[in-house]
Amino acid sequence: MNATIRARNLSRRFGQTRALDGVDLDIPSGRIVGLIGPNGAGKTTALKAILGLGRYDGDLEVLGLDPSSSRDRLMEDVCFIADVAVLPRWARVKHIIQLTEELHPRFSREQCMFYLKNTKIKMDSKVKSLSKGMVVQLHLALVMAIDAKLLVLDEPTLGLDIIFRKRFYSNLLNEYFDEERTIVITTHQVEEVEHILTDLIFIKDGKLILNSTMDDIHERYTECMVKPDQVEQARALKPLHERVLFGRHILLFDQVESARLRELGEVHKPSVADLFVALMGDDEEQSGIGENAA
Amino acid sequence: MNAHWIKTLWALMRRELWESPVAFKWTPIGIGIFLIFLSVITLIIYTQFDASLSSLFDGLRMLAERSVEERSLAVTAGLFSVATIFFQLMLLIILFYLSGSLYDDRKDRSILFWKSLPVSDSMTVASKLLTACLLVPGMFLFAIVLTHLVLLLFATVLSLLAGLNPITTFWLPASLPRLWTVMALGLIVQALWLLPVYAWITFCSSWAPRLPILIAFGIPAGIALVQHSWSLATSFSLPGTNIGWIILQRLGSGVLPSNIDIEFGNTNDIDFNEDLFMSFGNLLDVLLDPAMGIGLAIAAVFIAGAIWFRRRATDN
Repeated sequence: MNATIRARNLSRRFGQTRALDGVDLDIPSGRIVGLIGPNGAGKTTALKAILGLGRYDGDLEVLGLDPSSSRDRLMEDVCFIADVAVLPRWARVKHIIQLTEELHPRFSREQCMFYLKNTKIKMDSKVKSLSKGMVVQLHLALVMAIDAKLLVLDEPTLGLDIIFRKRFYSNLLNEYFDEERTIVITTHQVEEVEHILTDLIFIKDGKLILNSTMDDIHERYTECMVKPDQVEQARALKPLHERVLFGRHILLFDQVESARLRELGEVHKPSVADLFVALMGDDEEQSGIGENAA
Repeated sequence: MNAHWIKTLWALMRRELWESPVAFKWTPIGIGIFLIFLSVITLIIYTQFDASLSSLFDGLRMLAERSVEERSLAVTAGLFSVATIFFQLMLLIILFYLSGSLYDDRKDRSILFWKSLPVSDSMTVASKLLTACLLVPGMFLFAIVLTHLVLLLFATVLSLLAGLNPITTFWLPASLPRLWTVMALGLIVQALWLLPVYAWITFCSSWAPRLPILIAFGIPAGIALVQHSWSLATSFSLPGTNIGWIILQRLGSGVLPSNIDIEFGNTNDIDFNEDLFMSFGNLLDVLLDPAMGIGLAIAAVFIAGAIWFRRRATDN
């Protein structure tokens, strides 16, 4: 099976800044990949390159095509929500659905109607009269009604309430996702997606800090809430990161035997958010994972 | 060109109609209603001076007594002058439409949605130009046809009141199928004639960071000014080769009835016949004019440029 996305030395400069700095990436099909990074880390630049929306240096293949020269062919098999609320404001809902139906060979009107059924969106409404959340709902319904091989979601649930967000991710997992498809998600609300991810990528300053399957991550990283009298011993094992919660020291370790750690305190698997903070540095905490999910 | 292309282009062109219903649908209908309203008002004012309309009827009778050729010329002239008002406003609408055609979706970021569809950038640019060259003229021609029919119905009522046969006085001399066919073909030839101008504006719309209409008019105006000052300063001038003059000449010429070149001072030589408005003969002349070929070549360059920029365009 060919890789859905294959990048070698993918780079992009904006003046002096390197938005992407020699990224190598292989994403096979049948994965749900979380691309997580602080603002300005290069997430959007990477996604735009993958979607044929931005220039880049290096080699990049998406579904066997070069995105920079074959965007139109690529879009038959790739869907994306690049950002919130980019549907044309002048258009009516029925117009957008009709256009997508006529222009996209893999669009299913029935599917789209199924996803719109539980919303308050009316067919005759203009996009500009819809609330921000409704526009996102409409866009998600359009995208999920397309039988694509790669779905790219850049902050897909921004501006949506909890109920819709939960429903969206459950639809995504239960009705949309299968072995043939690949989903790439970027979001700041990692808590919401971490249970559905199969792979995790951390990006910072245009470089990949972490690129691994969730299974490997759970294997590799362990968090330990250390007994007060064992702190110094635990520190000797060179933790990646240390934080204090209610007076208890919580240390995160990379490839340290959990049997050894159990002697020092309470052991558990770190959340993606904790791992992010540990690997990307505290200074990024504010911009990276600010919203500790509703 | 295969069926899939045509289907895609048609979907994209209908999209333009959905986006600008006021410019493409309601403006031509509005002009038609305005012209009809104007003729009713004129008639009402006329009755203030001549309640029995006897002088109007006399005029109609005089027309009915003329030869077939003369009647035909008079009726066609009337119908063409009605159409001319549509044509002039249509040109303005097309110029404004094209200036925003590849700019507005960059400004409101909806370009990200359009680029998420499997439609090539050349197809997008083609759909904008085809809208300007075929769809908009088609909408305007439809409104012209309706206006012609309503005005001829007025004329029918008046001629019946004057005791004349409306068929032989108005309907037959108007030879409507021929008139509308020549107008339809004329609009296509005119679009080809103006294609370099259309393509230039589309090109500007594709890259302008802001105010594409000002940039599209400002650049040639600036060049024309510099060229003119240069000619003045160096006393080296080639009249008629100023770029601004060339563009204005192009906009003001072509096949539309108001654009026929009349050599002033030589008015005696003008032969008042149908060629003055629009005829199959002068359509062919314009098509075969070397200036047409040069214009199309320039248009091709700008269209290629518009596609090049469109491929690189995103939301910022």
